[in-house]
Amino acid sequence: MGKPVLRIVDVWKSYGELEVLKGVSFELMEQEVKVIFGPSGSGKSTLLRCINMLDPPDQGEVYLSEQNLMEPGINLNIMRANIGMVFQHFNLFAHLRAINNVSIGLRRVKGVSKEEARSKALKALNQVKMAEWADHYPAQLSGGQQQRIGIARALVMEPDVILFDEPTSALDPELIGEVLQVMLELAKTGTTMIVVTHEMGFAGAVASEMLFLGNGVIIERGTPQHFFASPKSDRVKTFLKQLDILYGSHKGLLKLSKEEEDK
Amino acid sequence: MMFQALPQEIQDLLAVLEYWDEILEGFIMMIWLYVWALMIGFFLGLFLAILRQYGGAIISRIATGYIEIVRGTPLLAQILLLYFLPYSLNIPIERWAFYTNFRISDREMTFILLNPEILVGILALGLNSAAYQAEYLRGAITSVGTEQLVAAQSLGMSRRVGIVHIVLPQALRRVIPAWSNEAAYLPKYTIVVWYIGVPELFGKAHYLVFKEFIPEATFIIIAIIFLVLISTVSKVLDVIHKRTAIPGL
Repeated sequence: MGKPVLRIVDVWKSYGELEVLKGVSFELMEQEVKVIFGPSGSGKSTLLRCINMLDPPDQGEVYLSEQNLMEPGINLNIMRANIGMVFQHFNLFAHLRAINNVSIGLRRVKGVSKEEARSKALKALNQVKMAEWADHYPAQLSGGQQQRIGIARALVMEPDVILFDEPTSALDPELIGEVLQVMLELAKTGTTMIVVTHEMGFAGAVASEMLFLGNGVIIERGTPQHFFASPKSDRVKTFLKQLDILYGSHKGLLKLSKEEEDK
Repeated sequence: MMFQALPQEIQDLLAVLEYWDEILEGFIMMIWLYVWALMIGFFLGLFLAILRQYGGAIISRIATGYIEIVRGTPLLAQILLLYFLPYSLNIPIERWAFYTNFRISDREMTFILLNPEILVGILALGLNSAAYQAEYLRGAITSVGTEQLVAAQSLGMSRRVGIVHIVLPQALRRVIPAWSNEAAYLPKYTIVVWYIGVPELFGKAHYLVFKEFIPEATFIIIAIIFLVLISTVSKVLDVIHKRTAIPGL
């Protein structure tokens, strides 16, 4: 693997009295896919927003290709163009057609000409299998389609890394698959990604490393095999079991009810 | 006279309409004040709304202060204050006026474009309207939400670019129904400039009442003119709102 694209060093963040991140550190190599998971309120989304400085950390350092983003006087707008972000609730621009949602970043940030931006945007829409919906407005599309446009919007900027903030958790179950499919393909073609998700199937397929975040710290880290076969901490075990009940087979559910009975 | 055969009410209305040139002068003046005040109010109001929403602690409070003071005091007091301010500051007022003459059938009409009173009237109405329009616009900006602005910033747009290209195009569509309140109120507010001697429609009505003493017919005609104007404005805004609607929303 190549050089680290992203280096997070001892990042702390609090909102008033509430400490959300309490010293998080990790590195992300080129073409790596890292999955972050953990209970709600553990700081997963905050961590992503700290990485692209939408919510700068109180303490610590974030390096993007060895450039310290915490350095005073740095132009964060330019740096953010190199960090894509995909949102839980899509956050598409409601007044723009799909194609313009994708091309506006090129036009307004990179100053690309109208024609070139359009052809690049079409290519990106093609990558997420949304080219035939290019002229639709977000409100005319399903959640899964909207999220794929959200992915194309990030993709078209050719960022060094794309951050996914629970990209499928606002979707109806039958729409999750089409979004995960697109993300799997991106991962396989070497896109550097950090994905906050509870889709363990996706994690198992493409994650090079998984981080379990709890109470603002990384409680456990390892490969998907490590987590699925022999997680160490009890927090992780409990959490994975709950996920299994929610998303997994009926096996988990049956096992749990049997345990209850045995008690 | 052939009018003798008509009922008294109709005769009264016709007698007032005999002064159509005076009424037309007043109507043009009212529209003139209205258009200027609405435009000044819109651009200043948009500026105030953006400052209040995105200006940060200090600037936001200054904008809020302006809005609350203007909305909390009578328009008439504001107009009189602006009107008398130069006198109380001992600034000499010169008499000047830009005007144009025109002729329709046999009537010679004068329309004053600008003189000190009209200037004060336009400024006061515009500064007042800005405070109300700012709040309508702020409401619309708030309703767009912050998520899309965050997404714009995540693409590398500055806040300013995000506000201009993402938030405002949606806020300006959303504001139309609420903003039509201001567009419908403002023509009626213009009558206040009568107090500082601007010959707008209501002033003309007074003049006609003193001259002919048929107040009922006079004010009915004035009321109908306002009604037609404001209904038209409402209808036009409604059409614009529908035409600019975002598909699917």
